[in-house]
Amino acid sequence: MVQLLFTYLGEGDFMEGKCGIVGYGVYIPRFRIKSEEYVKAWGVFAAPGVKEKAVAGFDEDPITMAIEASINAINYAGIDATDINCVYFASSYPPYAEKLMSSTISTAIGAPSNIATSDFTSSTKAGTAAMLAALDFVASGRGDFALVVAADSPYADFKDFIEHRLGSGAAAFIIGKEDLIAFIEGIHSVSMEFFSERFRKGGEKFLRNLAIRSYAKYALNKIYTTCVSELLRRIGRKPDDYKYVVFQQFDGKTPLEVALRLGFKPEQVTPTLLCTKIGDTGSASCLISLASILDTANPNERILVASYGSGAGSDALSIVVTENIEKKREFLTVEDYLEDKEYVDYLTYLKFKRGI
Amino acid sequence: MYKVAIIGVGQTRFGEFADKGVKELFVEAFLEAINDVDKGIDPKDIKEAYIGNLGVGGIQLGNFSSMAVDQIGLHGIPATRVENACASSGFAFRSAVMAIMSGVCDVVLAGGVEKMTDIPRDKLRYWLGVSGDTEWERLAGMTFPGVYALMALRHMHQYGTKREHLAMVAVKNHKNGAQNPKAHFQRETTLERALNSPMVAYPLTIFDCCPVSDGASVTILCRADLAKKYTDTPIYVAGFGAGTDRLSLFEREDFTTLMASVLAAKQAYKMAGIEPKDVDVAEVHDCFTIAEIIAYEDLGFCKKGEGAKLIEEGETEIGGRIPVNPSGGLKAKGHPIGATGTGQIYEIVKQLRDEAEKRSRQVSGAEIGLTHNVGGSGGTAVVHILRRG
Amino acid sequence: MAYVSIPAYWKTIPQRYSLIGLKCKNCGYINFPAREICAKCGKKSEFEPIKLSGKGKIYSYTIIAAGSTPPEFLLQEKYVGSYPVAVVKLLEGPKIVAQLTDCKVEELKIGLEVETVFRKIYEDEQVIRYGIKFRPVKKRRRHKKNEK
Repeated sequence: MVQLLFTYLGEGDFMEGKCGIVGYGVYIPRFRIKSEEYVKAWGVFAAPGVKEKAVAGFDEDPITMAIEASINAINYAGIDATDINCVYFASSYPPYAEKLMSSTISTAIGAPSNIATSDFTSSTKAGTAAMLAALDFVASGRGDFALVVAADSPYADFKDFIEHRLGSGAAAFIIGKEDLIAFIEGIHSVSMEFFSERFRKGGEKFLRNLAIRSYAKYALNKIYTTCVSELLRRIGRKPDDYKYVVFQQFDGKTPLEVALRLGFKPEQVTPTLLCTKIGDTGSASCLISLASILDTANPNERILVASYGSGAGSDALSIVVTENIEKKREFLTVEDYLEDKEYVDYLTYLKFKRGI
Repeated sequence: MYKVAIIGVGQTRFGEFADKGVKELFVEAFLEAINDVDKGIDPKDIKEAYIGNLGVGGIQLGNFSSMAVDQIGLHGIPATRVENACASSGFAFRSAVMAIMSGVCDVVLAGGVEKMTDIPRDKLRYWLGVSGDTEWERLAGMTFPGVYALMALRHMHQYGTKREHLAMVAVKNHKNGAQNPKAHFQRETTLERALNSPMVAYPLTIFDCCPVSDGASVTILCRADLAKKYTDTPIYVAGFGAGTDRLSLFEREDFTTLMASVLAAKQAYKMAGIEPKDVDVAEVHDCFTIAEIIAYEDLGFCKKGEGAKLIEEGETEIGGRIPVNPSGGLKAKGHPIGATGTGQIYEIVKQLRDEAEKRSRQVSGAEIGLTHNVGGSGGTAVVHILRRG
Repeated sequence: MAYVSIPAYWKTIPQRYSLIGLKCKNCGYINFPAREICAKCGKKSEFEPIKLSGKGKIYSYTIIAAGSTPPEFLLQEKYVGSYPVAVVKLLEGPKIVAQLTDCKVEELKIGLEVETVFRKIYEDEQVIRYGIKFRPVKKRRRHKKNEK
């Protein structure tokens, strides 16, 4: 089968309940811009379903956001930063094209020097890719705790429609083997070549999207269908087994279309749609939504997370919440960050993003 | 050790002079000082020079002293540039005094010069911040007015000082400056205007801050027992003191006092054998209005915390109990950084000789005068006590 | 022109990123920023690194108006305008100076409880200089997961 040439078979019994999430944290900047501001400026707001989005302040970037999310995750997990053996940082639009940013993060949080670090980038599935790598790290016995943090604040040309939906945010997860609040019961990844869908060549400042609608839709559906159905088949699950489903959130509409096509219901997706409030947060999108679900999830509920990366791939994880979720330590929830907000107008938005 | 006298002083007007650079300004002040020696002096009698200069603009960062004595026609003599931020020429003067006290030389020049108004505004930002702590204060976005603003807020919090008191200092000093032909600003101002002017660093407005100025000042000192050869009105250096403090404000215990000033003043009073109440006239370092209020306390003119009361009661006006800054102070007279210290000496010498220009600024019967010169936010400070012969 | 070199900035990263103070083993005083000789007892003794909590209260503050900022903050001044800077007395004792962020001017007062956040401070020589700023303590709004 041609499919087999392109799909990655990620089996291994290490996935059965042995690794998972010990703690998590998010960071969402406090500035927001409403869709109305775009309508005033451009006559249109080209991001269906997004009402307002988060804006990184002038002194913020994916690294600063990642650090606060990571500190929240460490506090939640109840571990010490010196216990961390691995830091994986993901961003589809990192502040540096070349410089180990995971080192800045690991130094700032107080992790030891003897540590594995790596930066994951170049697509909006970098966040889940980093999470899978962190699971591998812990499952293979290389270390006890891995920190995976995804943070994004992408830029596009201000006169392009793709810019309208771009938001800011970060989510961090501590991956370990014990005291899990949620374990990973299965993963699957898919890779297919669909170029020019959402991309940025080296040295260019702005994200591009050629907006070939039928091609983009085809790619999205092909990749998602292949990835999710293969995962469900291998672990013997059905769409109805899941309380929540997290898809890549470019806007508030597309995840619902994907869900319906795959046999899920709107009520499984709607609670996960944070993009309506924070915009498209790139590689952090799926992880921020996962965090928001974990804030209110109950033991034994199932969550499916499936990312989609810049026209070429998807990582899907089937996650089961454990009893330990009840024993929460004092932490800042996604709601806490969502509710602490200050609106800015379009001019201020442009200034923060150095667009003028 | 020998005693020291001042035999001649000279100062340019402080202000903005597009057509005069450091060289022109320094020479102008020098020539005035030479002419001020009433029995005449051969410039070649000057055997040593100490010149205060921060180096703003960077036109001559290395070997500035060599350039300075070259310009005044005295190349050959030992010369030193002294830099202690805004207290540069105050410390230059102190070094000159100590050189004469030691017996190494008999006639010494101590002066200062700064050219600040020929730099584009964005470049000026570099220079204005160099006297505070760089690594922590500056990289926290702090500015020079910002540091004094932090002091002002604490003084207001601890002692109930109000913004009105700060404005009163500005009003007094502008009133004095309006009568000083050498002052940068020669216009009076009102309390309302001062209070409602734009903020520079809350709670300090533009009227709480001294200007950026060009200017030069020169003093000529001589062994006291030889002074009568040059002048019938020598002014004697009765005492002096100096000190330092933690460079960064945030590392100090108390933001409402400058330890360097307190130490300097104590030493100076002790050496001169006087108490604060014996001082008839003072030129203090009012780089910001709050600095003058704090100086009242540090110099012992009033109790700690009562500086606001002193200005409110008018005690520091010309004609008050302790006239402060009859020249207009840094606030109105101006603050060409390197020239300010010896500029204060110039004013006190004129006051003690009963020669203040315009006569309305003359403090009558002044016998003992004090100068107080601070570097930056108090990293260094030097106090001199001068006495009529 | 004053200039903070890359190595000079790098040496202070434990302080700028993680608020590491040096506790003097001789007298117990916590030195922050780091120094070679204890500021309190004057002995070059052994120091023990101690990570400060970053929590404290505003001791004094000011608002730096646009137009006079240090050159490192020229861009910030142009794009954001005036900004508050505070001296904060940390719980453990030392005072530290840093910008305030995420707060309105009306909130500022001596005694306000603040905490550190990691932010971009400035950019020079194509290298982003990171460090800490302060913000009013971010409070939790909910206590239990299903409480609305």
